Formats: sequence, C-alpha cells, structure tokens
Amino acid sequence: MALREGYFLSKEGKTRTIEEINKKIRKGDAQVLTAEEMKKLVESSGVEVAFKEVDVVTTGTFGAMCSSGALVNLGHSDPPIKIDQAWLNGVKVCHPGAAVDLFIGATNMTEKQPYEYGGGHVIQDLVAGKEVELRAMAYGTDCYPRTSIKTTITKDDLNQFYLLNFRNCYQRYNCAVNSSDEIIYTYMNKLLPRLRNATFSGAGELNPLMNDPDYETMGLGTRIFLGGGQGYIIGEGTQHSPKNLNGTLMVKGDAKKMSPEFLQGASFSKYGTSMYVGLGVPIPILNEGLAKKTAIRDSEIFTDIVDYSVPRRDRPKFGQVSYKELKSGSITINGKKVRVSSLSSLKMAKKVAKTLKSWIEEGTFTLTSPIERLPNNTVFKPMRQTEEIPFVVSVMHPAVTCTENEAIRAIAERIVTKSVNHIVVVDEDGKLRGIVTSWDITRAMAEGKKALADIESRNVITAKPDEPLEIASKRMAQHNISALPVIDIERKVLGIITSEDVSKLLGR
Amino acid sequence: MKRILIRVNEEQVSEPIVAEVIIEYRIPAAILSAHINSKGGEIIAEVPDESLDTIVNAFRKRGVTVTVPKLIEVDSEKCFNCGSCVALCPVEAISLDKDCTVQFDKEKCVGSACSICVDACPARAIKSIKPNGANHAGNNKVKIS
Repeated sequence: MALREGYFLSKEGKTRTIEEINKKIRKGDAQVLTAEEMKKLVESSGVEVAFKEVDVVTTGTFGAMCSSGALVNLGHSDPPIKIDQAWLNGVKVCHPGAAVDLFIGATNMTEKQPYEYGGGHVIQDLVAGKEVELRAMAYGTDCYPRTSIKTTITKDDLNQFYLLNFRNCYQRYNCAVNSSDEIIYTYMNKLLPRLRNATFSGAGELNPLMNDPDYETMGLGTRIFLGGGQGYIIGEGTQHSPKNLNGTLMVKGDAKKMSPEFLQGASFSKYGTSMYVGLGVPIPILNEGLAKKTAIRDSEIFTDIVDYSVPRRDRPKFGQVSYKELKSGSITINGKKVRVSSLSSLKMAKKVAKTLKSWIEEGTFTLTSPIERLPNNTVFKPMRQTEEIPFVVSVMHPAVTCTENEAIRAIAERIVTKSVNHIVVVDEDGKLRGIVTSWDITRAMAEGKKALADIESRNVITAKPDEPLEIASKRMAQHNISALPVIDIERKVLGIITSEDVSKLLGR
Repeated sequence: MKRILIRVNEEQVSEPIVAEVIIEYRIPAAILSAHINSKGGEIIAEVPDESLDTIVNAFRKRGVTVTVPKLIEVDSEKCFNCGSCVALCPVEAISLDKDCTVQFDKEKCVGSACSICVDACPARAIKSIKPNGANHAGNNKVKIS
C-alpha cells in the first residue's frame, strides 16, 4: 500500500503513475532514456527538467551470477521413470521434485572437464537450441518402473524451461586483491600475488538497484529484461542486505525466449563454473526523487577493497574505492598503483539497457507495478556454527630463532637443548630471513659446510595467525614440510606451528 | 621493434649463443622472457626493425630456430568483453576502448611464454598456441613476415 500512496500524495502533484506511462508506451510516445543518458540529462538540465521529460530510465548489468539456474520439465518417458540421479551433457543436475522435473544449477560441473563446462554452459546450449544429452537413473517403483534412460533433448522438447535465479544483480560488490605470495584463484577470478592486480564486479551507476536504492518501484511482479527475454522479479534475492547497499534480486523468466548472447556459461579456473546473466530493470520516473536517484554517478558509489588471500568470512580490507576509480583501470592501495579490471561486462550492461529501451519505445514491453516491494530492512546473518574450528593462532608457539651470523655449531646446540627440529632465521628486527632444520645441520656436518648461509632455506613457506589450521596443514602436506613459521603482514615472526601440533589437534 | 622467438635445442643450451650474436652484431636485443633448462629452451626477444634480418640470419647460421611468434589467439566470437584479462597482462597488450570493447594488441603480446590471461578468461576465448616441437634446429623454412 505504501507504494501506491507514495505515487499520489506528493504535495506539488508532481507525480506520474505506471498506468499513465503504459498509456504513453502503447501510443509510442513514452520518453525512455538509458541510465547513462539520464545522468547526462540531469547534469546538463537539472532534476526538474529531467523529471518532466523522462518517463522511464532503463538500467542494466551483465555479470557472473552463480546463484542462477533453470527449472526444466522433461515430460514422461514410456515406461515412465521417477528420476533419482540425472546428468545433462555430463553435468549432474538436481531432482528436487517429482518424477521428471530437474533443476540445472549454474555452478554444477562435469566430472570430465571440471571448471570448464558446467550448468551455466548447459543452460546456454539449451537456450541456443542445441541438443543436450540426458542420462538418468532411478530405483524403480510400481508406478515408475524404469531404472535408466539415455536420450537427447532440445529446448523445444521441454514442457517448461524457466530461468530461476535466486540471487542476481548485486547492487554493488567487493573489489578483490591478494596480499599473499602466491597466485590465488577465486570467484573474483585470478588474483596475482602481492597486490599485483585487482578485480571488481558490477555495473556501478548502471546497476538496476543502485538507480532505485530505496526500491520504490521494484518488487514481486516487476517485469524486467532477463537473459535477452522478458522476466520478472519474484522477490528479494538470497543474502539481500539492503541496509549496506548490498541488495539482490530473485528472478524468473521463460528461458525458451531468451538469447545465448545474454546468458553465457563461464569458467573460473580452480574455482568452478558459473553463468553470466544480462539483467535490466526499467525504472518508472514517478516523481522527482526518482529522477534524482537515477542520476547517481560512479563517483558516488563506493565499495571495499578486500584481501581474498585470507580465507575467512570477514576478510581484511584495504579501505574503500569508488566505481569511478575502478572503471578507470587503476586504483591506489597503500600509495601503490594497482591495475584493476572488471569481471562483469560494461559493454554488455550498456547493451542490456539499450535493448530494454528499444523494447519500451517499440511498445513490446510495458511496465508493471510490484505487488510487494523489496524489503529494505532485512539483515544478512552469518551461519550459526555449533562447533568451533581451530585457527593457526590457537596452536602456534614461540619459535626458536637464530640470526644469520651465528655459527652452525651454536645452532646445533640450540636444536638439542630446546629439543626442536626447526630454527627460524631472523634479522635484527625479528623479520623472517630463512629456516634451518636438524636435517640441514646434519647435512652440513656430513658435507663439511660451516656457514649458515650455505644451508638455510630462504624460500620459506609460512602461515598467518588468523588462518584456519586446516589450510595451514594442507600447505605443509602440499610442500612436504613439517613446520611453518607464523608471520604478520610485515613478515615479523610471531611463532611457529609444526605438523605434530596439527596432528594433535586435528587427529591426523 | 620486432619480436622474435628463439628456440635452442639440448646441444645448444650450454653455448652462449644469444650473447655471442648480440656482441658480434652489436644489436640491442631486449629479452622479454626466457624459459631454459638442460633439454632446451625458448627465448622471446625484441629487436629493432632494421636489425631483424641480420639477427635472424645470425641465429640460423648457428643452427638455432627463429620464428616470429603469434602464439596467443583471441576468439572474438566467444569474448563477451568482461575485461578480466586487462589488468593481468604484464605488457599492457590488452585494453578496453571507449566502447568498453576488449582490444588485444598482438604486437605487444609476449605470446605463449606468458599466457597469464589464458586461464583467467571466463569465456575461454583466449588460446595459447604452443609452437610445434622444439627440435627442428636449422629449419630455415619459416618465413619472417
């Protein structure tokens, strides 16, 4: 109800209704601008003029949206089968309902080509009209006796083929960097060590939710551009977090009428598969407030620079950055220039907004009033965990250290008196220089080497105090070593963890 | 500047061929990447346009394979212009134009010796083409364009 009241109660009477706009659309004289054009108009002519002249602003985004998928109904085979497990082009799909309904999740991968081909690609292939191989198994019942089936299908063979995305169109997203010494592969793509690159996602000032941040015009029933066809918002997306401008959308649409250009399978090395979704929302300019809101610029939209090398829920941040800076190609972190690139396609986002504009101008797309607006006060909670997991800091103990100018004999004695296997080599500031093991000392004796510099390992694999112990433990196994010095961000040695500590705690 | 791919075999690895050629012909070649072990190796170098023929012939006289590398290919049909690859490229061979279209500069690209962008392309539109076989020393058939 609040929505309707909002339309009519403006004191100056400076409002227009969706019905009025639709009348204009049908007559072919609605004024439609893309979000890009609207910003320029407001800048040059002001909000008042923009409100008077513009009926609808079209927005758009095109990015990797992992919580996407498609619901398909296959129709019944003869004899009928109640599918228990099913694969489409080798991608395992869910069977959440009755006999022949399947849900293709964008992130499910093939076993044959993990990370390369997944549910997103299957959906794209189906949308493109390609034949897809179906393989299914069942346990067999009296009413559904069949236990296996193999066939090929196209979208025309399906009864329903609906895109059903439970979290799309993030209002804004993090900028990702990696402060560790190794390349990491994440859902924010490949991140080079020591902040050598940054990635970001989202269309910034073109994003649908950013142009209507109070969700005045959006909610259940809003007709939208989805995957090159028409779809609907069916509510807030999962993890919708409006208070900190991290709103999301849940959407559906008839995938049979979509286009493979706007729905593309994607591969993220060592992370998984996903799907790029083109999504655009028309924003009716019902009042001056909306005209002003749709004028938002990239320079006003900020996001956090997040360190993805720390595998925790709350990752460390390097401050904030605007979408204007992000789109410029480089940002500054701690005084250092870091090149940044986008994960989502700005070119395609603009194409979405332009296509939606042309549909409205042609009269093939009319606007709808939402039946229920998106919530603007919900909170995205963390998972309730009933078991604590150990972190490096909980098992780390003080490291036995030495400096580079000490004699090997002194170090050998220290290994005996302290009964340890690892001596950490530090400089005068306590910063990590290398590591020496009892084996290195033994070898030095056998080979008659006298200088520490000849035997210490300088390429030291390390751990951070706030890392989960399991991850540090995996690193030890991966490099076939039995201890990790624990260091802080300035490489100061805080302590050491050994495989013995880990096995005591994790029982392996 | 012209870019060349110098490929040495197992026997040539221990000889200072690149150094010899640079000293003898006084050509300021910039080594962009080098991957060498006891079995052979690949070196990508940049040389001034006017020295190209001289340096190619000098290497070939010593039995070393020299080609002009064209080792990264971008499938513009598959590319959906996200631009993920842009900031990864160490030689800034990839950029976004005014239209937000990804532009790939083959002249600047270091080729398959780098390949840093290949596994970062969500559309899998970038392919690294390994030159066939590293063992045809003395092959003079490759035409320098």
